[in-house]
Amino acid sequence: MPIKILVTAKRVEDYESKIKVNAQGNGIVLEGLKYKINPFDEIGVEEALRLVAKHGGGEVVVASVGTKDVHEQLRHALAMGATRAIWVNHAGPLDQMTVAGCLQKLIEKEKPDLAILGKQAIDDDQNQVGQYLAEWLGWSQATFASKEESLESEAEKSKTPALQLSADAKTLTVIREVDGGLETLECSMPCVVTTDLRLNQPRYASLPGIMKAKSKPIEEHTPATLGVDATPKITVTKMEHPPARKAGIKVPDVATLMDKLKNEAKVI
Amino acid sequence: MSAGINRYKADLRELQFVLFEQFNFAEIAGKGPYEGWDQETAKTILQETYRFAREVLGPLNGSADREGCKVVEGSVITPKGFKDAWKQLFEAGLKQIAVPKEHGGQGAPFALYAIIEEITSGANTAFNMYPGLAWGAAEVISQCGTEHQKKLYADRMFNGVWGGTMCLSEPQAGSDVGAAVTRAVKQADGTFKISGTKIFISGGDHDLAENIVHLVLARIEGAPAGTKGLSLFIVPKKRANADGTLGPHNDVQVASIEHKLGINGSATCVLNFGENGECVGELVGAVEHQGMPQMFRMMNGARIAVGIQGLAIAASAYLNALEYAKDRKQGANFKSWKDPAAPRVPIIEHPDVRRMLLELKSHTEGIRALVVKLAAHRDLSLIYQGKDDEKATYHASQVDLLTPIVKSYASDEAFRLCAIALQVYGGAGYLKDWPVEQYLRDAKILSIYEGTNHIQAMDLVGRKLGQNGGANFQTFMSDIATFVEKHKSHPIFGKEVAALGDASEAVVSTAMGFMGWSQSDKVTLVPLSANRFLEMMAKTTVGFVLLDAGVRAEEALAKLGPTAADRAFYEGKRYSALYYGRNVLPQVKQLAELVTFEDTSPMDISDAAFASF
Repeated sequence: MPIKILVTAKRVEDYESKIKVNAQGNGIVLEGLKYKINPFDEIGVEEALRLVAKHGGGEVVVASVGTKDVHEQLRHALAMGATRAIWVNHAGPLDQMTVAGCLQKLIEKEKPDLAILGKQAIDDDQNQVGQYLAEWLGWSQATFASKEESLESEAEKSKTPALQLSADAKTLTVIREVDGGLETLECSMPCVVTTDLRLNQPRYASLPGIMKAKSKPIEEHTPATLGVDATPKITVTKMEHPPARKAGIKVPDVATLMDKLKNEAKVI
Repeated sequence: MSAGINRYKADLRELQFVLFEQFNFAEIAGKGPYEGWDQETAKTILQETYRFAREVLGPLNGSADREGCKVVEGSVITPKGFKDAWKQLFEAGLKQIAVPKEHGGQGAPFALYAIIEEITSGANTAFNMYPGLAWGAAEVISQCGTEHQKKLYADRMFNGVWGGTMCLSEPQAGSDVGAAVTRAVKQADGTFKISGTKIFISGGDHDLAENIVHLVLARIEGAPAGTKGLSLFIVPKKRANADGTLGPHNDVQVASIEHKLGINGSATCVLNFGENGECVGELVGAVEHQGMPQMFRMMNGARIAVGIQGLAIAASAYLNALEYAKDRKQGANFKSWKDPAAPRVPIIEHPDVRRMLLELKSHTEGIRALVVKLAAHRDLSLIYQGKDDEKATYHASQVDLLTPIVKSYASDEAFRLCAIALQVYGGAGYLKDWPVEQYLRDAKILSIYEGTNHIQAMDLVGRKLGQNGGANFQTFMSDIATFVEKHKSHPIFGKEVAALGDASEAVVSTAMGFMGWSQSDKVTLVPLSANRFLEMMAKTTVGFVLLDAGVRAEEALAKLGPTAADRAFYEGKRYSALYYGRNVLPQVKQLAELVTFEDTSPMDISDAAFASF
């Protein structure tokens, strides 16, 4: 039974780039930075492609919000195998409410069976869009979808996937990571899933995939045409590096250590 | 033995500069056979390839070196992880990038393919040989084979379903390939029974693909002696039915594999064909006595590929040494060396370490530009084919001329540069804990296989210089002269451009000297001086492309703001050009002087006088 999945592709700073706070102290230095698709989103694209392949076809639609630069990330998802892309053209600051609002409108238009998002983006680690989206849509949600073991292990490779769709595509069983370990949720469809790191290992965009991606369509919208107010409700007033770690000290004996922990560090 | 960590490093910014800014990929992409290609796609592919190299190929480089290959029950077992890497490589479509579209590939420009090869080969030289040989053998079949052979063999080899090899050498016929005695006896059905022993067959057997197609040079009964009597045969490991299903084994036996200094993950085999009289081969293209010209299609490609291997290894050795030099603290800054209280500094602060690093940087960048120059000429010759004969001929001629230079200079330098990179590490570099000692060992074969570097030098002076009535060489020199004329007053590179002018004059006058010797009783001086001449021409060419890169970098730099992040990159290009222009280009004139001494002492000394034993 063919299914339709909406996934996201946020443009984020490459984790290998060196991030510096700008002179004004209200953002980061953008010059010389490299960008990538948010790794959690990439895991979402991979999982969507696997689900569609397993359920006899369907469509994976990838969406991103930002300037035309986000085409790079959309093309990456298309090269991995996504069917088509939607670009919400917007320049300037964005907060999680605007992004979730845009996605909500897109989903109301596209009517996918399922939305798979990264649990958070590696730039500001907010971890909110998926939850807002599910709430506003009135959909069920399963966050931090994950697998049990290291992906490298043979046991893991042969195991059933963390996202399993029932044959009638009405319920989705999700293994998710929680503080105490793993829990399994059964969600009624449609629903929103956010991905954790260990869910899968994304495929390499194949060369034929990269070539094909060039001719796949990218549909354009703006927050205004979707009816979303893009005025940020959150403003960044100050940004600074975390304080540098102080050098450690050697203590002569356990008694001194206990004393310092109690009276200096005040942790016990 | 498990896969280790990746050590491979590439500077993507530099790769993009050479491809996009120096050799103008945008002018090649989208034209003629390269329809559908553009710079953005190429950029994406470079990034994906680098990721693939670091995650899949690189972690297997050290482990494969330690594990090596083994023969179990007559079959080669490759190191752990190779089989999976082969599968992933072809699934990702990386090896099919430059495969013609009619064979299921993407038909990419060779310039891009050269850089892709640098990345995959640098991450794992030994592994990369298996798909490389399959590709080269498939190219011969696709260019020279019958329609049936193209469909049955080339398609499968290009796409990793079957592997491939080239079988030239025999125990008595190495560099002297014309001495080959492997026999081919014609059967009633038009096929041939093959019998003989081939040695030094890279990837001669492996467990990566379901079948291996050997291209075997053999002599049909009654054919003349020497290279002219050789024919080229398709000899599969398992016989192939017309529909591609596999029949019985074709009586190709692995007699043994060699135990080597380096590239230990690559199985170097002794193969016995037809020990039981059951080895069947078919003529490539169904033509007899065309073995050498057919095989040379593969040889030329393979020689360029060896140059790329040298570049690949040296470039990663450089970047590893650079990383180590920034990290390793030892000694105080040179200016305060007498002060025991002075802070210990990273060794990159020491003048001689900096000298070594810049030696590595300028040479690897220069060789890369040389490789891409050759590749771009090949692309342009195909673009102009049938449209503008003059341009097509010009570009093809430069490929011919530069091939022996790329093969020799890149391979000789790779070994020397790896030794310098190892020196940067000091004692640590000699240890197996660091990747450079393996690079050094892996690089040594490059000056030997695919025609030793002396064979390359003789190809250059004996064949390429006089090719087309000497016009190929003259056009090449006039390209340099035009550049020198244009930039001799360059505010930054003026002096170095003048050194390029001197070097190219020295090359021309030495070439004239060679022609004189060939027609006189001094003919022995030709082989005695050929390697030196190749070195002169290589240094001149590399100086040329580095200065060209420098000039372009300065133009880009002038357009950048004072705090632009890309400034450091372009400034780096400046110093690569200045360093080479000051330290290497002036050597060409000195080498030319050595040639004029006409030293024949290696011939004058008697065999007995070499040593008393």
